Amino acid sequence: MEYIDNIPIYLQIKEILYHKIISHEYEPGSQLPSVRQLAVQFTANSNTVQKALKEMTEEHIIAAQRGKGNFITSDETIIGELRDRIVKSTLDETYDKLHALKMSNDEIIDSFIKYVKQRDDDHE
Amino acid sequence: MSKILEIDNLSYRKNSKTILNHINLSLDSGKIIGLLGENGSGKTTLMRLIAGVNASSEKNITVNGMTQKSKIKSQVSLSDYLDGFARSSRIDDIVRFYRNAYSDFSDEKYKEISEYLNLDGSKRLASLSTGTRGKLVIALALSRETKLYLLDEPLNGIDSMSRKKIISSIIRWKTDDSTIIISDHYVTEIASLLDDIVIIKDQTVYEVDSVENIQMKYHLGIEEYYEKVYEGGLAR
Repeated sequence: MEYIDNIPIYLQIKEILYHKIISHEYEPGSQLPSVRQLAVQFTANSNTVQKALKEMTEEHIIAAQRGKGNFITSDETIIGELRDRIVKSTLDETYDKLHALKMSNDEIIDSFIKYVKQRDDDHE
Repeated sequence: MSKILEIDNLSYRKNSKTILNHINLSLDSGKIIGLLGENGSGKTTLMRLIAGVNASSEKNITVNGMTQKSKIKSQVSLSDYLDGFARSSRIDDIVRFYRNAYSDFSDEKYKEISEYLNLDGSKRLASLSTGTRGKLVIALALSRETKLYLLDEPLNGIDSMSRKKIISSIIRWKTDDSTIIISDHYVTEIASLLDDIVIIKDQTVYEVDSVENIQMKYHLGIEEYYEKVYEGGLAR
């Protein structure tokens, strides 16, 4: 695992798990790997993984089932909200940077549409 | 959280040279803790003192609530670099020695770890690469069922594939109620494993803090923080 070294590992683990949940690599309602398995996968210690999972439990993104382990919510609304939150935080940064270049909203939208088209063409 | 280790004002001199000076330390159980300091800073001496291998007459070290040296020894597994074994010893012979020497040595655990690390019991010590020898050291240390593990520079001089396997076996076989202290002078690779760090500088404990606090407080990675501490460029 490659981590950004000045950001707490548990926050970075949360981000990775969020992405797996939103992209449905981890299906809604399915069981998460055990703490130990996640620790090995993330090269982190179990306390760190537990801290990430504790916060995700408080956010109702996962829930523990007694004696079985942790399960991802099957509530699509919660997953939708999570996706919106991540989209927003990704766009926040871009928007702020472009705004700092004194671009107007229309210019920002135009350049983004152009950019997406360009990316699509590159892929074909 | 209960305390696994408490050190109260420990100093240690050898041949009239001060190695450690007024060490105070109090560590919670269940964690993985990095013991950092440059070569010669006294990390190994401190570990040997905690394990009761180096003689210290005073009773200022408490491990899991115990101060009596003979009791501490059964609570602590210190990695041993096997220099006391003949070069012709086979791995199996060394394992047999461990089984006899330590009543807490778990054959089952050794079997699992040695299989994971591909250790071949019929190999002789002299024929092992540095990486394989490092794996053996870790497998033996982790196979004792104790509360406190002291791993003295387990990655020193070891190739990157072996380092990864060693790190992974530490994660896999650490029980929730045990504590592991890993010493190193090179931090990056173990940084993601650590809950807390202890920095030894100028013969004493310079800092004890959680990795998370350091990241939040200084916006620095552990490696960078540690380097700054040693350069003396960090205002406290």
